[in-house]
Order: sequence, then structure tokens, then C-alpha cells
Amino acid sequence: MTAQVRSELLKQRSTRTNAALLAWMLGLVALVVALHVLSFGIDDLSRESNQMKILGLGTTIGALFAALLGAMSITGEFRNGTIRPTLLVTPRRTRVIAAKVVASMLAGAGIGLVAEALTAGAEALGLAARGVQIELTAGDYAQLLAGGAAAGALFAAIGVGIGAAVRSQVAAVVGLCVWLLFVEPLLLSDVPSAAKYAPEASAGAIAGAIQSQVADTLIAPGLGLLLLAVYAALAGLAGSALITRRDVG
Amino acid sequence: MPDTTEQALPAAPPRRVQPALSATQLTKRYGDVVALDDLSFALAPGTITAFLGPNGAGKTTTLRLVLGLAEPTAGSALVFGRPYRALAAPSRRVGAVLESGDFDPGRSGRNHLRALALAARVGFDRVEEVLALVELTAAADRRVRTYSLGMRQRLGLAGALLGDPELLILDEPANGLDPAGVHWLRGFLRQFAEGGGTVLISSHVLAEVAQTADVVLILSRGHLVAQQRVGELPDPARTLESLYLELTTSEAS
Repeated sequence: MTAQVRSELLKQRSTRTNAALLAWMLGLVALVVALHVLSFGIDDLSRESNQMKILGLGTTIGALFAALLGAMSITGEFRNGTIRPTLLVTPRRTRVIAAKVVASMLAGAGIGLVAEALTAGAEALGLAARGVQIELTAGDYAQLLAGGAAAGALFAAIGVGIGAAVRSQVAAVVGLCVWLLFVEPLLLSDVPSAAKYAPEASAGAIAGAIQSQVADTLIAPGLGLLLLAVYAALAGLAGSALITRRDVG
Repeated sequence: MPDTTEQALPAAPPRRVQPALSATQLTKRYGDVVALDDLSFALAPGTITAFLGPNGAGKTTTLRLVLGLAEPTAGSALVFGRPYRALAAPSRRVGAVLESGDFDPGRSGRNHLRALALAARVGFDRVEEVLALVELTAAADRRVRTYSLGMRQRLGLAGALLGDPELLILDEPANGLDPAGVHWLRGFLRQFAEGGGTVLISSHVLAEVAQTADVVLILSRGHLVAQQRVGELPDPARTLESLYLELTTSEAS
């Protein structure tokens, strides 16, 4: 199993895919934080809850890019055919998926951490530029970074599971983007009492910040962590079961 | 090492020699389409066997079933007496290349091999050995995107050889190789078989097969229509062609 994990870590390091994902993420964070800092009035910006919601953008973006990284680690292999040599060396497909989950969780934790740190930095810069004082505490930031890393790791595992289940890179990427950027935000604003238990809101609970109406009624961080771990386990098991049962072309 | 002096037909290997690969009533259906119907054959150790047949005859399907990438609808395929997916360290027994394009274009040849070597628990020094063997050392740090088709074929072969296997399974290995490359491959496979290794290749190039293979299996529309020792043909290249055309076109019409 460690052999497969080391193989997966080398695969992640040896192409430019992850560097490209990181670059896209940097650009996106800068853009959305700038838009939010500029569109709020000074009074709104001064409120702690709104400063928290802007930080929550980092939670969503970190979760999204970690999930994309996880999904691409498996759908990329189906796309370019390396799944064949991979499975010839390691015919036990569950072991391949488990190794991808572990390697992607490590990278996903990094993605989540960087996303939150960048968002916090960009927000601090934006607030300073508009002359607004930061109302957030060191504890807020600590939870943001630690929670962002944990959420990124678990979303990367979700990405691997979904990628293994759908196989198609386009379907996985589009599906994850649509869910995280449109479906769940809509659910959060329409049925917050149920949607606060959904994956993205759980990530928000762990990090203590999410950009939506539900921000004021987040579940407890521990419950969020538990729920997101359950979602990740379910996705991983589903992906593993489906990839084991189906033929590889 | 298996007994390489054995000269029996692969269809009926003597009991004391375990076939390197055996298929028994192997059948694969996709919905109503029968890709492979009741295929049985066995490969004796130390021989080179070629799969011949038109596109869609079931050659690649057979190889995918043998290698555990797909599950047969009925029948079984065993390598060294076990299903491929049950082999403990498959890359030390079997090396296979299914398609010449199975690389991440953005990864270097060396890193492609190293990723496989890590999973197979093979040292990086072996990566350098196989790179030298297929003459890719100079290009090893270039991204595969920049490789020619022949270079990709050789990189695929290098990956199959990482675990120093006893059985080589190669789908259209001469495809994209220049004449010198084809000559090298033929010599390599011959040497591999003389060392006790077993080879199964699929091919379209009859003249090439006539020079390389000991036995040909001709497939047509998912059926095994002939099994022939090349050495027993009077003029291998020519008779093989007439045999092939007769068997595969009469079936198709």
C-alpha cells in the first residue's frame, strides 16, 4: 500500500496539472475577494459577520480545487490511458483508489490551507485599502487555516470517489463545479435547515466561515468534520466499488 | 525456469509443463454483440505466439480479459495457473503493453517508468536499465508529448520489462517502429523466448509474424479459426497470407 501511495505522489509531482490548478486558484481568490471587498459599503465591511463571509469564499474555493485535484488524479488516467499500466501493476483496484485518496488528501490539505491563507491575506489587504479595521481574532484565523486544510483533504477524497465513479474528466469537473458553485449555494439559501448538513456547509462549519446565508447557523465544527468524513468515505467506497465492477476499455 | 526444450503444440501442452497462459472457452459479449466466442488456447513456455485477425476479430478483447482489465462473460483466462488479478506481484510475472498511447503526455518518460516502478516495488536502477535497453536514456527527461510513435512503443515496452517478467503480452508492438526498430524488436523477442520467456503478440503484419512467431492463432469475428506452427508452413510468409485471407474473408462474407 505504501508503494502505491509513493507512486501516486510521484504522479502528482511529475506533471504540471497541480501547479496549473494552484495558479487558477490564486487568480480566482484574488478576483472574488476583490469583488466582494469593493462591492460592500464601509458599514457592512466593518461587521465581523461579513468579514467572516468573505473569508468563507476561501473555504468554497479550497474545497472546489481540492475536489478537482482528487477527481483529476483518477479521471486523468482514464483520459490518457495510463489507467491500463496502473492496473496492470496493481490489479487490486481498491488499493489503487485508496492510494489515490491518501495522496490526494495530502495535496488537498495543502490546497485548502493555501486557499484560506490567500483569502485572509487578500481580505486584509482589501480592508486596509478601504480603511476598515479587521474585527477577526487569532482564534478565527487558526480555525480557518486548520479547518480549511481538513476540509480540503476530505474534499480531495470526495473528488477521487466521484472521479472513480463517473470516469469522465469533463463530467467530474463540471459536476463538482455545478454542485459546489450553484446547487449547494442555492440549497443553502432556500432550505438552510437541511442544507447546513450538506458537504460544502460542513466544510464551512469546520473552517468556521462560509459565504452564504447559512453562515449564521453553521453546525458545530466537530459535527461538520464528522459529516464531511462520512461523505468522503461514502464517495470513496462508491468509487471503489464501481471501478472494481466495471471493465476498463 | 520452465523446460524450454519442449516442442509440443501450444494447444496440447504436456501435463508436466504448466502453460504460461491458458484460455478456456473464453467468451465476451457486450449486450447482443459477441466480441469473443468460446476461445480456448494455451501458450507453452519459451514460445512466441502471434494473434492474427482483422480489426474487431477479438484480439485486443482477449488480451484485456487475460490481463484482468475486463471480466469474461463466460470461460476463464489464467496466467501461470491463476487469474491475473490474483497474482501476488503481477509485474514480475507478466509484462504487457496494450496501446502505444497509454502515457500522460505531460510526464517525462523517466517519471512514467518511476511511477510504475514504485507501485511494482522495483528499484529506480532498473528504470535506468530498461531505458538503456530500449535506447531512450537520452530522451528520458523529455515529456512524452514530444515522443514519436516509435519512441512511445519503446517506452511502453520498457514499462512492461520493469519487473523482469516471464511472459510478455504486446498489442501491435511493431506499429510505428522503423525497419531498424522492427529488426531490433524481432531479435529481442527471439532472445527473450530462448531464455525461457513466453511471448504473445497481436499483429496485422503477416510478413513480420512469419519471421518472428513460432505459432499463429488466427481469429475471425471472435472465433479461433486456425492454429498453425509457422515452421511447418512451406513458405511461411506467402502461405500465411493465403491462409489468413482464406480464413478471415470467407468468414466475413
